[in-house]
Amino acid sequence: MPRFTTVALVAGAALLVRRAVRSRMSTAPLWPMPALDTPISGYGRGSTVPRKVRVAGRAAPAEGVVELRLEGEGLPAWQPGAHVDLVLPSGLVRQYSLCGDPADLSAYTVATRLIEEPQGGRGGSREVHEQLREGVEIEIRGPRNRFPLVDSPAYVFVAGGIGITPVLPMLRAAEAAGADWRLVYCGRSRATMPYLKEIEALGAGGHLTVVAEDESGFPDLRFLADLPDGTAVYCCGPDGLMDAVAAAMPEGRAPRLERFTAAATTGGTAFEVELRRTGRTLTVAADQSLLSAVREELPGITYSCRQGFCGTCRQRVLEGEVDHRDELLTDEERDGSMLICVSRCAGKRLVLDL
Amino acid sequence: MSNTQPAPVASEHVELKARKVSFDWEETPLHWVPGDPFTTHTINVLHLLLPAGERWFVHVYKQALPYITDDRLREDVIGFIGQEAIHSQAHDDVLPHLRKLGLDPTPYTAHVDWFFEKLLGDRTLPPGRPRRWWLMERVALIAAIEHYTAFLGDWVLNADALDRAGADPTMLDLLRWHGAEEVEHRAVAFELFMHLDGGYRRRARTWALAFAALMFLWQRGVRFFMENDPSLLDPKASFADFVRKGRQGVLPSTPAMLRSIPRYLSRAYHPSQEGNTAQAMAYLASSPGANGGR
Repeated sequence: MPRFTTVALVAGAALLVRRAVRSRMSTAPLWPMPALDTPISGYGRGSTVPRKVRVAGRAAPAEGVVELRLEGEGLPAWQPGAHVDLVLPSGLVRQYSLCGDPADLSAYTVATRLIEEPQGGRGGSREVHEQLREGVEIEIRGPRNRFPLVDSPAYVFVAGGIGITPVLPMLRAAEAAGADWRLVYCGRSRATMPYLKEIEALGAGGHLTVVAEDESGFPDLRFLADLPDGTAVYCCGPDGLMDAVAAAMPEGRAPRLERFTAAATTGGTAFEVELRRTGRTLTVAADQSLLSAVREELPGITYSCRQGFCGTCRQRVLEGEVDHRDELLTDEERDGSMLICVSRCAGKRLVLDL
Repeated sequence: MSNTQPAPVASEHVELKARKVSFDWEETPLHWVPGDPFTTHTINVLHLLLPAGERWFVHVYKQALPYITDDRLREDVIGFIGQEAIHSQAHDDVLPHLRKLGLDPTPYTAHVDWFFEKLLGDRTLPPGRPRRWWLMERVALIAAIEHYTAFLGDWVLNADALDRAGADPTMLDLLRWHGAEEVEHRAVAFELFMHLDGGYRRRARTWALAFAALMFLWQRGVRFFMENDPSLLDPKASFADFVRKGRQGVLPSTPAMLRSIPRYLSRAYHPSQEGNTAQAMAYLASSPGANGGR
């Protein structure tokens, strides 16, 4: 009889334990193993998944300009000044500034001017105009922002033609923030300048100067010379305009520029890199990668793909402006770190935490 | 020591490099082996373990790199690191899709994250021998795990039954691209372990640990998926199912898995004795995902 009691007790205890374990496992599947407070897995960059959008609308905001509304699911949030890469049906990759409403995450809006081959077009804008009909699905990359709008009480924007696209959301943001803004908007003729009406309607708190070449020639930028301190200057447009704005700025101040032309992704200029913890300063030659220069000093440094997508060679940047050329890091990660296998210095000197 | 030294069977050394991949999950259904949730979820456990696990491989190998004195091995390890980093990202990117289909993996992956980030992470050890001991222990664990990833890679490259069952082509491509790279770099983890340590007792001990941990994580993972699958009314999973599916060829066969145990524990073991590099390279050349998603 005592044996029966023992068996019954053990069986009862086993059942209770099983129930207890089961109930814990329903909330913690690997109980009794703890869980990480902030899970990492499953919240990555999504860098191996193509982001698809569908052309949901086409409009013509000006002569020779097509505006596309690109609808997609789970589109990331963006800030004024951001651009996306469009992977066109032929495989060409082109960058276009987002010019829609940042609060609308169901679609991105881009606008493209057709640039014919004799004017230096390389086929991308022609493909956008001819192939991206409504319903066409394409892959996009990004958005990324290398032309961010800083907080400022006053802004001056200078836009040339289709260069208005990154500036348009900036104007709306400046207007919403109650900042004092001024826009000099130039173009060949009013008919070729997109979003004119929209900007004129916006101009309550701002100051708009439209300079159409066929009416009034080139813009007068002399006002930039006595710009008060603390006014942020943004310029996007043809190279000639951006050079003119840079030249018109007071000594020691530079405008923020967004260049449309294909970024030089190969080669570069020589620069200096300081390895702060090692206490050495190296020179990176124009035809040399930052990684290969650092490897001469620190042979054990980690890297792998050497093409800017695996992320192994990521290093912290302490000082200096980085020319990011990788395909992996998010804007937040780019703020303070870089992939040294492909990215370079945008200025003369970088300081790495190495 | 006997005369059976571990050595590669053939000089089929290939230069390892990470491949940029692209997988579009848009069309992949929840039960990507049609009508077979048990097989689907047994393989899905890979997506729970590999993002954190392969991130950990990279983390450990970055620390092992300075100890390597053989230049060719260092090149191999560098290639290995990049491949593992991409594997981790690619499997990680499946998880949001599962979440979208109504099967949130986070309750499970948060544990796996703790397991690799904390339990197997860097410890506050005095420099010198204790720190090196912990590094070697982890290098040996990775060698044991890589024995199984190479086994699974070889299996999935040859698992025609999955094609016949109508498995989702994107998921099959992910598994076979990954499997092929595992076959391609199957010797690296073992050679690194032999180069840095090579002790047989450590090899056997870490094998037992890795095997037990994998069994534990895997069976809990299958149960987790089956119980949380919104489309299943009778979420039962048993070892008998596993054996049965193994016989059908849609999962690895149990006898083949058992036979692989003594092979790893043999003193003459070298990973080049298993798998087929040529087959792996052929797959990689034709894989849509490994060729830019086209």
